[in-house]
Amino acid sequence: MGSRQWLRELGWTTGTNMNAMISDSSEEKVQLGDVQRALLNILEDSDAEKLRLEVTLKAMINILSDSSEEKVRLDEVQRALLNILDDFNIEQDKLKERTSELQTAIGEMTRSNKELQQFAYVCSHDLQEPLRAVVGFLQLLDRRYRGKLDEKADQWITHSVEGANRMQVLITDLLTLSRVESLGIAPRPTEASEALKEAQENLSTLIAESNAVITIKGNLPKVMADRTQLMQLFQNLIANAIKFRGLEEPRVEISATFDSEANQWLFAVRDNGIGFDMEHAQRIFTIFQRLHTRTEYAGTGIGLAICKKIVERLGERIWAESQLGKGATFFFTLSAPK
Amino acid sequence: MSKIIHILMVEDSPTDAELAREAFLESKIANKLTVVEDGVKALEYLHSTCTANSENCPDLILLDLNLPKKDGLQVLAEIKGNVLIKHIPVVILTTSNAETDVIKSYQLQASCYITKPVDFEKFAAIVQKVQQFYFQIVTLAPSGPHDGSASGEQPK
Repeated sequence: MGSRQWLRELGWTTGTNMNAMISDSSEEKVQLGDVQRALLNILEDSDAEKLRLEVTLKAMINILSDSSEEKVRLDEVQRALLNILDDFNIEQDKLKERTSELQTAIGEMTRSNKELQQFAYVCSHDLQEPLRAVVGFLQLLDRRYRGKLDEKADQWITHSVEGANRMQVLITDLLTLSRVESLGIAPRPTEASEALKEAQENLSTLIAESNAVITIKGNLPKVMADRTQLMQLFQNLIANAIKFRGLEEPRVEISATFDSEANQWLFAVRDNGIGFDMEHAQRIFTIFQRLHTRTEYAGTGIGLAICKKIVERLGERIWAESQLGKGATFFFTLSAPK
Repeated sequence: MSKIIHILMVEDSPTDAELAREAFLESKIANKLTVVEDGVKALEYLHSTCTANSENCPDLILLDLNLPKKDGLQVLAEIKGNVLIKHIPVVILTTSNAETDVIKSYQLQASCYITKPVDFEKFAAIVQKVQQFYFQIVTLAPSGPHDGSASGEQPK
């Protein structure tokens, strides 16, 4: 693009009379104030994304302000503007280069991420078949040969079946985790109360068996989410609260408060369970990280990792606050529909 | 029902097939189970038995989706596209519980979709229920090919 044309367009877009000033001026000199005003307009309009341009423009404005004369030579202004143009072009080339570098990096990351998801999916899916063979034939052994071997053999069969069953739960959980990305849909306005209701229905046996009381403080809002995943999020957090209950019957309280500035809802799932030391507050969300032995509390250590993935996929945050023996509260943010 | 029912199982995993065989044995419903291990063989078997009006034309097909050579959905589409065999109920019995597989199977007119459990007890229970349903509760079309021009009685 020629420099004059560029200046004309710049003048046009900034809404100043710079265009006319540069090309149509029949005068040798222009009003200093006009040039300054035009440059300030450019500065405001260029939304400061090109730092160098800004600096150069500011320097030029300063030079012009220092001038004691009322009028400046038109060719001087033009020369200065052409200098800016050069800087601007260099800056743009660099920007283009950096953008393309970033795009390549993003492309690579997307591809490797996709591969990883596919890998996790195929793994979990294809692992089921050999596992079924192990569990199936062990159970057949158990059914047909229990009592025909000795006691120890029966016990070993029981251990093997239990181990295989645990592996099955692990695989299912891994599959769920990999599906947060691969099957997740774009967030859309979703009634949090409906997702919660569904989660409670899915947990009805656990809730009944543990005599858990789930209360919802106030009304839950409509938020931007993937409904199935929001349901899963509530389900995991409530199941977690019930699992890590103390001696008292579990009480789980769910609430949401609105932050109008961020147009965001802050959800809290509060329980009266055993809680944890805050030094583990990050670790509990990491896959396979468990704070207890399997004999104390069963589980795969994937549940909260799934929660984290669901929330972070939406660009939101999840964290927990607790004190050992005094219950825990899990917080997460979700955006309000615009 | 006194007639021996004939089930065709399309299953590429020999261990899954054997587990199924054991489950059928435990179900105590008189049946004959034929297993073929890929999609191409399944269609060959159906063409050779059903179009020839042989006794070996199955009453029920259990179809896995993840098959070598020709995948399950393709086999299903070909069965349902062949007027001579499309009356045979096809039960999808697979490890996949991907929503797209479920939807596609029903769109291609599978009779039902069952996800294989890992647990043998559960698997045996499912096999038992499938047999009870198809061979004690529902009325199936008589064995043999049916080409739509309808042999047999006209409605009165």
